[in-house]
Amino acid sequence: MKLEGTNTLPAPIETVWKMLNDPEALRRCTPGLHELRELEPDRYEATLTIGIAAVRGSYKGTLSITDKRAPSHYKLVLEGSGGSGFMKGEGIVDLEAQGDSTLLKWVGDMQIGGMIAGVGQRMLGGVGKMLIGQFFKCLEQQLTRGT
Amino acid sequence: MSTRYVGAPVPRNEDPALLTGRGLFVDDVRLPAMAHAAVLRSPHAHARIRRVDTGRARIAPGVLAVLTHADLGALGGPLPRLIPHPALAHHKTQSALAGDTVRFVGEPVAFVVAESRYLAEDACDLIEVAYDPLPVAASLEAAAAPDAPRVHEDMDSNVCAHYTQRVGDVARAFATASHRVRERFRIDRGAACPMETRGVAAAWDARARRLDVWDSTQAPIPIRNGLAAMFGLAEQDVRVVAPDVGGGFGPKVMMFYPEEILVPLAAMRLGRPVKWIEDRREHFVATNQEREQIHDAEIALDAEGRILGVRTVFLYDAGAYIPYGLIVPIVASTTLPGPYRIPNYHCEFRAVFTNKTSVSPYRGAGRPHGVFVMERLLDRAAREMRMDRADLRRRNFIQPDEFPYDVGVIYQDNAPLRYDSGNYPACFERALDRIGYAGWPAAQAAARARGRWLGCGVACYVEGTGIGPYEGARVTVEPSGRVFIATGVGTQGQGHMTSLAQIAADVLGVPPQDITVHTGDTGLFGWGTGTFASRSATVAGNAVALAAQAVAAKARLVAASVLEAPLEEIELGEGTAWVRGVPGRSVTLGALARAANPLRFTMPKEWEGPGLEAARYFAPPQGTFSNGVHACIVAVDVETGLLRVERYVVVHDCGRVINPMILDGQIQGGVAQGLGGAFWEKLAYDDEAQPLSTTFMDYLLPTAVEVPPLEIEHVETPSPLNPLGVKGAGEAGVIPVPAVIAQAVEDALAPLGIHITEAPLSPSRLRQLIVEARRDR
Repeated sequence: MKLEGTNTLPAPIETVWKMLNDPEALRRCTPGLHELRELEPDRYEATLTIGIAAVRGSYKGTLSITDKRAPSHYKLVLEGSGGSGFMKGEGIVDLEAQGDSTLLKWVGDMQIGGMIAGVGQRMLGGVGKMLIGQFFKCLEQQLTRGT
Repeated sequence: MSTRYVGAPVPRNEDPALLTGRGLFVDDVRLPAMAHAAVLRSPHAHARIRRVDTGRARIAPGVLAVLTHADLGALGGPLPRLIPHPALAHHKTQSALAGDTVRFVGEPVAFVVAESRYLAEDACDLIEVAYDPLPVAASLEAAAAPDAPRVHEDMDSNVCAHYTQRVGDVARAFATASHRVRERFRIDRGAACPMETRGVAAAWDARARRLDVWDSTQAPIPIRNGLAAMFGLAEQDVRVVAPDVGGGFGPKVMMFYPEEILVPLAAMRLGRPVKWIEDRREHFVATNQEREQIHDAEIALDAEGRILGVRTVFLYDAGAYIPYGLIVPIVASTTLPGPYRIPNYHCEFRAVFTNKTSVSPYRGAGRPHGVFVMERLLDRAAREMRMDRADLRRRNFIQPDEFPYDVGVIYQDNAPLRYDSGNYPACFERALDRIGYAGWPAAQAAARARGRWLGCGVACYVEGTGIGPYEGARVTVEPSGRVFIATGVGTQGQGHMTSLAQIAADVLGVPPQDITVHTGDTGLFGWGTGTFASRSATVAGNAVALAAQAVAAKARLVAASVLEAPLEEIELGEGTAWVRGVPGRSVTLGALARAANPLRFTMPKEWEGPGLEAARYFAPPQGTFSNGVHACIVAVDVETGLLRVERYVVVHDCGRVINPMILDGQIQGGVAQGLGGAFWEKLAYDDEAQPLSTTFMDYLLPTAVEVPPLEIEHVETPSPLNPLGVKGAGEAGVIPVPAVIAQAVEDALAPLGIHITEAPLSPSRLRQLIVEARRDR
């Protein structure tokens, strides 16, 4: 399932880029993410809890950042599996400086399997949008607080 | 033999226990120290298993055992191949637990036994499985392509069988035809959804080396035989009981499902009884499914509408494995000709592996597909020839004087397809009369004038039933006078306790209420194959009749001795034997049973042994062929796509009727399931073969709101192939429903010119067709 969107963040592109590469910011802003442990640069072990429809599950997996072109582009890959199935999400992020603020364009693809797919597929679009919305809102708050 | 009870709507012997909660289903089996199992299943449709780490699960609270493929030893090999066929080149079966590869979502990977089901499921969550996802063969058409991802890597393609049957010269028939119609038809996946899901309980007595298994199966005896072989036990030391079974419908005749091996294995290893009950979500992935086929079919007719030839080339979705062989596509291709004379016929299919749950027969078992294709072709032909659809059918019926009728192909029992008896035109005319076909154009026009979109459908079928190889029964009169019947054919709600009792009741002269029927307990009767293919009444029913006749003969022999009268003057009835013309000189059956088992002195040689007891077998040379016609009137709401079935008529001929009330119930239930397959029930999968409809929120079973009251009539053309003259009826209700609903919907929407070529429809799919048709106008 593919999703895309744009957000304007109230900070210069370098600040946004730095934040998007800051494990602490990612940990704080990714909904349901409990743990983020660096395995190697740009690769983390992650544990997150997400509820889709009636299925709330814990997923263990990895979060990695690839295809980096500072300060405007990267790809975020999140893979996890747990008792209620597995999920794989990919997000491609492009930043564009707009004076003091930054236009962030993202394209996401999400795949789920197992019990969460059987029960939750219909909800996935809505849930995905909501989670991504929460992520950027959090980044925005962080940036506002930072300035 | 009088027929006081056969043919009467005798109330069901099984109902008092079932209606007062005294039934025994597998989940009611509760033994001391019983442990509970849960299955960890693959979330991937196709993946390599890199590693299974059960470390945390093994030490979790209450966990008694965690089994993976590595723990199974010799039991980890491929499960039995049930029904081989020369055309089945790759007879793949799964392992009880997946080895290095999983091939469908739901394939078992690990088996956890714990003190409770809760703890077992919690421990499943602690098992870490590292999967490397592999490319997925998701849709049937894509999987059939030469470059598709392969479900089994040792094969060159996903096609495991290619089989063709031919009658006459189809190419010439098409070349000389005045009319030819060609169409592609799609039938999608469905699930049987019995009220009781699958379940297995097992107990091992290590001292007696005896294994007891309770299994919600349609085939307890083959399960017993297989378990004995796998575990190296004597067959008589394994007892498999299929107690009350809450619906089977075909998927429960599969053997073996992994759990049927894993539960006994765990019970033997732990020395404790173990139980596993499938939950509803598991049922949607772990119990075999059915139905997906894509037919490219065509029909050729002469100028008068006589069928010259039919050709169908189709794809059959086997799912990830094909344990049950080619039964479903063979039944589909041999049911297609139906009640019509088809001098030239070509049926050809390819069975294709996909990364989905395996397919095996589900009520109808290919018959609805064949009928859908044939009836749809006739409807298209009638429209193109501007001929009345009923007239077109009338011109092609096999006539009552043409039986036995050779269709020319080989049926699922590996015998030539030969219809034994029937009266197809009579059933057809009765159905047309009952639905009011003659007055339909006027009624439809009047409804249209009021803005109502009504349609009428009528569809015919012939149902192959009552196939071999054999079944048996033992009839015993106990000293109390009660009669006990034991047979290997289990019941899943079809009323065996009553129908079989009625047959014996007439022979022995006792009321059916005084007869207890035991089914599905290998400890009581150990020979038989199972309940499938609408065969219990025909095959087991005739075995009961033969055994009861032998017991009656013995009772007369003993009575002649006890009453000191000539054998030919002995009469049986009302639970007694008496001397003809001297009702006072009588003796009860119970007393005869006691007399037939003397404690001292001598026993007459002609008694051939003690007691009033006999076991007999019935092995039919071929199947019997029931037939019927369904007709309905539907109303389509063109704004919502909803369908309302206003009237539904079934005229049905299954030979001699044993219990019309039970028969009506069979047909009512069948039509309900047929309506599901015609309009509501669809197993949806995404592009990665992830099942999307694994709850009753998304998988729509028809409810009392959607299922109309039926108008049922019976025509009785006895079968010449068995003493009772009966034929099977178990699948009759379901078979023509997708065909008749499609025709009725098409008739209702005739002004929009919509062609229905798929089943199931759904409100949203029908609405989409309506919107597209209106846009194109």
